Amino acid sequence: MGFLDNTSITVDAILTKKGRELLARGDGSFNVTKFSLADDEIDYNLWDTAHPNGSNYYGAVIENMPVLEAFTDQNQVMRYKLITLNKNTTRMPILYLSLQNTELTYGGPEVPIAAQSTNAGDTSFTFELNDTDVAYIIPVVNGTAVLTGAAQTKQDDERTAVVVSPKEIRLQAKQLRVGKSARLTVIGNQTGVTKSITLTTLADPNF
Amino acid sequence: MADAYKNFTVDTDVVTDRTIVSSGIFSSGAGSLTAFYTASTQGASSASFLNVYDKVQTDSTREVQFACGYANYGGSGSIGNTTKTVAGNRETAGMYRQFANVLLPPYTDKFTFNSFSSASEDIFFIVMNRARMREKMDPGNWELALTATKKMRLIDDSGATTTPTVNEAGRVFNIVSGSIASGTADTFRTAAAGGALGNFYPDLGIIILDAAHLQTTASVTTTRSTNTFDDTPSQLFKQIAAGAYFAARREEEVTSTMYFCRATNKEFNFSNNPTFATKSGNTEGVFTQTTFEGAPKTYMTQVGLYNSKSELLAVAKLSKPVLKSFSREAVIKVKLDF
Repeated sequence: MGFLDNTSITVDAILTKKGRELLARGDGSFNVTKFSLADDEIDYNLWDTAHPNGSNYYGAVIENMPVLEAFTDQNQVMRYKLITLNKNTTRMPILYLSLQNTELTYGGPEVPIAAQSTNAGDTSFTFELNDTDVAYIIPVVNGTAVLTGAAQTKQDDERTAVVVSPKEIRLQAKQLRVGKSARLTVIGNQTGVTKSITLTTLADPNF
Repeated sequence: MADAYKNFTVDTDVVTDRTIVSSGIFSSGAGSLTAFYTASTQGASSASFLNVYDKVQTDSTREVQFACGYANYGGSGSIGNTTKTVAGNRETAGMYRQFANVLLPPYTDKFTFNSFSSASEDIFFIVMNRARMREKMDPGNWELALTATKKMRLIDDSGATTTPTVNEAGRVFNIVSGSIASGTADTFRTAAAGGALGNFYPDLGIIILDAAHLQTTASVTTTRSTNTFDDTPSQLFKQIAAGAYFAARREEEVTSTMYFCRATNKEFNFSNNPTFATKSGNTEGVFTQTTFEGAPKTYMTQVGLYNSKSELLAVAKLSKPVLKSFSREAVIKVKLDF
């Protein structure tokens, strides 16, 4: 006679850099309200439907894989989120960005980036720049791009900049003596679909 | 409707718990020290205390474990007198007044121990390094041996009282001679029988010892010279080093919040992983595994905790991938310590 396993999985969490920053701020912004699941380490091509032992072993390679410890950089974890969709879904959401890896010039025109997802649809997107030395993110609301003084100060003070927008943002290069690159990550707020591009702000010879 | 996030229901999914965690107080969680070292240049410069290390001076990994020293109400044992400080800083007096201010009630300027009715004007002290102690020392779980023959073994009398004295410095216990080697306190002479050698302040990690008592019972020489550096702290250090045994534990209160992440059978069965669906062409977005159509399967490896702005605050990883499908549910308890 055996006993059924009625235990839940218990894991220890670590704070991300963003979490530590918000905890140190002490203004109540460190308030966990929701969770998400991800599978960054998994290669679903390892799902082996030809396994000689049958269907119970299709995922044997994946299930026996040791997993790396968590990273504290919030941009390097939870990249590929699991999502809830109808059972009869046949295509996964795809995220399209109007811009790929690009270079920015200080004093040049603001560079727009629009996001659109298909097959499920997102009503808003999160744009996260992992290094605020490179550029300002300007939210676009009803076709108008506005960076308030408070938002600009916040982006100057914090290491990463996050803007939630229905569809579009604009980028404004910062003045740099030496050129620098950063990653802009765009996340669909409903589907969790994610895409990253590299932004490079060129050195300003007049600086 | 697609959804990558699931809100917690505070009443059922979030639980806060407080746990007392105890461990060895010395470096690397060691529960006892049997060898003690100081910096050779100390003494004349610090005058009233010595930092005690766990390793020799040449070892770059050594760390301060505690400080031991001597304090005198009138400043004896250090250079300087009551009317001028140009020739010295009266370190022992400064240290005595500091301990009195921190540990004693207001308007009480001298320590009185249970062994004697009169106040004691000079004391030895042992102050645990804050990084070693973290939050507090564990009463009833420390023992310090003095002299080469371990003639004097010091413990606190917390095991003999259920209502410890509490003053401005938190809990206060008498220091008595005894041993915890058997696992429980074995007191050789109680405080009530005139055996109180000093006071122990577990919440501050401070041990105060009556200098007069130690001089007679543990051969700690105390000369009390006027306007002279006596190097008295080294007298206590010598006896600690000779005793070669200091065992202690620290206590820390850890507040944990447990988040129960419940993935029901209909949730989290699809993935944004680039290997889950094809990338380009007419089949963009179609599952790479045809068997996933109508019966998708995903593997959970990470749990992210977010605020309402979808900022990732904390992340937890599973030790191995866990299968999720429409026929499976999962509860993952994520523990976040503060």
